Amino acid sequence: MTNGVGSGALVVDVEQRHPMPVTGAFNCERGQLLALVGPSGAGKTSMLRILAGLMQPERGRVTVAGETWFDSATGSFLQPQRRHVGLVFQNYALMPHLTATDNVALSLLHLPRSSRLAKAKHWLDHVRLTSSQQARRPAALSGGEQQRVAVARALAREPKLLLLDEPFSAVDQMNRQGLYQLLADLKRELAIPIVLVTHDMNEASLLADWLVVMDAGQVLQQGPPAAIHRAPRNARVADLVGIHNRFHGVWEGPAQEPGLGLLRWTVAGDDASTVATLVVRDKRRIDPGQKVTWVINGDGVSLLDRPARNDDEFAAVVTEARHLGEVTLATLALAEHPRVQLHLTLTGPQRARLTVAAAVVVRLDLSLVHVMPQRFR
Amino acid sequence: MDWQALALSAKLASVTLVLLLPFGLWLGRWLARTDFSGKAWVEALVVLPLVLPPTVLGYYLLVSLGGASPIGRWATQALGVSLTFNFTGLLFASIIFNVPFIVQPIARAFEAIPGNLAEAAAVSGLSTWQTFWRVELPLAWPGVLSAMVLTFVHTLGEFGVVLMIGGSIPGETRTIAISIYDRVQAFDLASADRMALLLLVLSLGAVAASFFASSRLMVKR
Repeated sequence: MTNGVGSGALVVDVEQRHPMPVTGAFNCERGQLLALVGPSGAGKTSMLRILAGLMQPERGRVTVAGETWFDSATGSFLQPQRRHVGLVFQNYALMPHLTATDNVALSLLHLPRSSRLAKAKHWLDHVRLTSSQQARRPAALSGGEQQRVAVARALAREPKLLLLDEPFSAVDQMNRQGLYQLLADLKRELAIPIVLVTHDMNEASLLADWLVVMDAGQVLQQGPPAAIHRAPRNARVADLVGIHNRFHGVWEGPAQEPGLGLLRWTVAGDDASTVATLVVRDKRRIDPGQKVTWVINGDGVSLLDRPARNDDEFAAVVTEARHLGEVTLATLALAEHPRVQLHLTLTGPQRARLTVAAAVVVRLDLSLVHVMPQRFR
Repeated sequence: MDWQALALSAKLASVTLVLLLPFGLWLGRWLARTDFSGKAWVEALVVLPLVLPPTVLGYYLLVSLGGASPIGRWATQALGVSLTFNFTGLLFASIIFNVPFIVQPIARAFEAIPGNLAEAAAVSGLSTWQTFWRVELPLAWPGVLSAMVLTFVHTLGEFGVVLMIGGSIPGETRTIAISIYDRVQAFDLASADRMALLLLVLSLGAVAASFFASSRLMVKR
């Protein structure tokens, strides 16, 4: 997977200040799914509109499969009508006066009417809509069915780039699973770049090959989902990708063993305090004495059945336990430093132990600790 | 019953509608879609004929279109037509005083169409013209229909402006509303009665039919 700027099926490098800032550079290969993630107002949808040609940025370049769709240097801008882009709108934007079939046929106006309808039926069959559903207007279809019509309409364009704007936000959890499957199938079949906009980090990690984390119109970090979860570039990214176990500390410098360093874990707002001194990976990017933020992803926190013995084991008390179906989300406070809280997601029989006020022992997998300098954006 | 007046009214209403509809669609859609400083003035200008007393509107039209005015002089010299006290003048006035009746409902109808439908159409490859015919007009149709009915019925019944600019020339400017007034002046209440009733039934029927059609169209959606 090469996501260096300059090559690929979709190459984007754009910059805009007004009316809202949108700046970013990323690539997406054929058959790859790229997710633009970030809070609302981060510029994700604006970026999608730029790709669709519904908005022209101030500067930059957009090329798709070697074709230039936008280049401010040469003043070229391809109208959305001529882009062969499939766009699934957040609220689907289906034509309310047309049946599902006619909605899809609308993107096939270049064909004679009879083949238009046959093609439309083909795409609607493809997204698994029954004949009776195909004859209905959008108002008579469920959210998930409307979404399938919107996807079929986008596919009927035979797009060179497929864009999906928060496609799952209006679909209930049960229908979501089916749509995730549909998207996975499409990714395999179409072999075109797919760009998905979402604010749901879990969804993005589940579906995407490449994450682009945006905030306030800027790209903060990009990479494979696992890499971003393991090593968010800064506290804001950690926040945005939903890493809850975020702590303060002071970097003490290299440990005796090469490749390792000493991290003094402090209580927030009190740099003199010491919860523990942890031996963690050292990438030699931080100066000794510097204040840091550090994270540990969910896999790095586990429950033990015995008392704490080692430096990476801590006694804690359960302060909150929420049992959601087959998962339990728990908040723990360290026994010796109640202001330090850990978040834990558990499945399986261990969950039974997580009741409020229960005493537990947690172990931190220090190889999964990622240290970031504070106040770096 | 003054059949000649009724026929003239119907002709005036039809020609007004045919000439005004394309303009109404263009201006209504444009007002619904565009935002600019000074838009309030354009909208006020559109509504003005609605709030101005018909005699005031008629008076200004008479003054500005009459033989002594620059427009009137130009029309006489260049086109060889007079713009007052004849059907042409009446048509001109009718178009002006119907602007709010055609533009307002059409603008409301276009405003009600979600903005992303036009974008979805563009991404689906539709030109602006195709989007208008296949998406916007069908969706705005109930509003367009009621604008057409309002304009037609309003022209049938307009009195003040017609009297000021056209007078009461049989077959040329005496519309059914003027004829009713003339009959009342002549104490021919029986004729006035019949014509007034006909106008009432026609107007009520047309407006009710348009409301019925609009609600049917809305339900089907």
